[in-house]
Amino acid sequence: MANIECIEFLVGTERGLREVLGAAEVEPLLRAAVAAGADRALVAADGETLWQWPESRGFAQVDSVVAAEALPLILEGEPVGEVRLEAQEPREALRALTQMAAAALNSAIHANLKRMLTTEIHTQVVNQSYEELLAANRELRASEARYRELAENLEVRVRERTAELERAWACVLRREKMAAVGQLAAGMAHEINNPLGFILSNLNTLQKYVGRYVDMLEFFQHRIGACLSADLQEAVRQKWRELRIDFVTDDIAALLPECIVGAERVKAIIADLRGFAHIDAQENAPVAIDQALERTLAVMAAEIPADARIARQLASLPELLGNGALLCQAFMNLIRNALQARPQGLELEISGEHQGTEIALRFRDNGPGIAKELRSKVFEPFFTTREVGQGVGLGLTVVHDAAAAFGGRVEVREAPGGGAEFVLFLPQRGGGHG
Amino acid sequence: MIEFNRADNKMVLKLVYYGPALSGKTTNLLQLHELLRREGRGDLMVLDTRDDRTIYFDLLPFFLTAPSGLRIKIKVYTVPGQVRHDATRKAVLQRADGVAFIADSQLSETGNNVASFENLERNLALVGLDIATIPLVIQFNKRDLPGVVSEADIERVWRPTGIPIHLAAALNGEGVLETFSALADRTYTQLDEKWGLAAEHGLAREDFLRQLVVPG
Repeated sequence: MANIECIEFLVGTERGLREVLGAAEVEPLLRAAVAAGADRALVAADGETLWQWPESRGFAQVDSVVAAEALPLILEGEPVGEVRLEAQEPREALRALTQMAAAALNSAIHANLKRMLTTEIHTQVVNQSYEELLAANRELRASEARYRELAENLEVRVRERTAELERAWACVLRREKMAAVGQLAAGMAHEINNPLGFILSNLNTLQKYVGRYVDMLEFFQHRIGACLSADLQEAVRQKWRELRIDFVTDDIAALLPECIVGAERVKAIIADLRGFAHIDAQENAPVAIDQALERTLAVMAAEIPADARIARQLASLPELLGNGALLCQAFMNLIRNALQARPQGLELEISGEHQGTEIALRFRDNGPGIAKELRSKVFEPFFTTREVGQGVGLGLTVVHDAAAAFGGRVEVREAPGGGAEFVLFLPQRGGGHG
Repeated sequence: MIEFNRADNKMVLKLVYYGPALSGKTTNLLQLHELLRREGRGDLMVLDTRDDRTIYFDLLPFFLTAPSGLRIKIKVYTVPGQVRHDATRKAVLQRADGVAFIADSQLSETGNNVASFENLERNLALVGLDIATIPLVIQFNKRDLPGVVSEADIERVWRPTGIPIHLAAALNGEGVLETFSALADRTYTQLDEKWGLAAEHGLAREDFLRQLVVPG
């Protein structure tokens, strides 16, 4: 329908007499007119003779014509030519003959024109209807193909949408969890920090005071004790031994620094916890990779068995821009995944390097590895190979989403020697060290 | 326009009578054939009918000459009104110079009038003509029948469009010449603007109408 403009065939195209009339229709009439008494009969248009009888050869010159009758031939109301009968002497019937010839020819013109128009419009309508049918057929075929494709892809799309939904839900879940952990950590850290502060301060003061008591005791023993009677001196020695003052003095010297060291360690743990939860960090703040890893390991200290060996080579990596808490979460889940894969004798190597515009962080363990067919699934939300109740299958999803949040990705492959190797590819965006 | 041949000094125009089935388009042409003088008016050509219903179209040609010698042929067509003949309507509407829309005044036909007018709008667009600029007149036919839509209603609905309205009873010849005359008049305006009928060919509006619409 759109290519209407291209239709060249127009109904009612202008035609000349020659197109509408044919020799087969004209010549018998002219011959009959001559037979009926005319000496020459002709049809002319635009000053040109189209048909005549008898044919020009052997016919008398025009100046010998003494009688002539002509009548117009009309095509659609327009005079387009004439039929002319001539005689070499006056003939009564010439006028009537001409009228008959003109009537017959005009009638033929009308009939022929009507036939032509009918043919034209019929052809036009058939062509156009055919074109429209073709167009409709094309559209139908296209729509059928669309529906078939839709039907075929429906299942795939449903799966994709489901995965998307699950991912979104997992993301929400994780955010909630992160927010809760962050709040809890912030609250606890604040509450512990306060008493810890005065405990540390008091311990230091106490250490100083105890030193003075010990000095005083020694002063008594060496300077005053000599002036006492032998009985009293013996009583003092007795009491000294009984109270094991020598031991207590030595032990105090060891106990108090130990307490102070312990309290300092608690203080470090709180700092790690704050750092891990990134309570103070902004969403798009610079994140130091090695620091994030150390904090994560510190927080996970209780989970990591004594026989596990975690080697790390993250020196000279640039800072990343992003949410540090997310990165710590990713590290924690990768380390936890390795610990679960190899509860005893874990050897985890964590290394990092530049790769073009990216930083590749490798976590290579000596666990059983991940079967090839499962590798594409491990990052899906709620996918887990563990027993019911042993894990919800969100750990590696968190890793995947964290990498995505940094604008990167995570891949899993087989480590040399059979374990699993997870590689976090994170783009360097304006990192401090370039 | 079907053709403007400068070499032959000839112009061929097309006027189309459009409208719903049985609204009286052929009757209009029959009356024009009847009412107008013979000279310069061709014979009415009725292309195939079945039960008096037009299948293809009717054609009434006119011929006139401008003082400059420019020969002007005006072909007045009807289209078949029945819905199924849409392809024919499109073919006939192609390159029209003016359109007379023949509406059926009977109240029962209001819906058909609207559908046919919408069909006209759509088909004009399809053949590359603009309904806003093509010379167009509307005839409300069959005023002689009972149960027709009132003049006040016609006025109210159609006046805002600015399209001239003519009331007619084509069967009695009433309003037929007026409609044709108005269509010729509007068509002249556009032709004159485009081809300078008056300035270049000495054919003034009155001459054009006088030559074309001469009661016989």
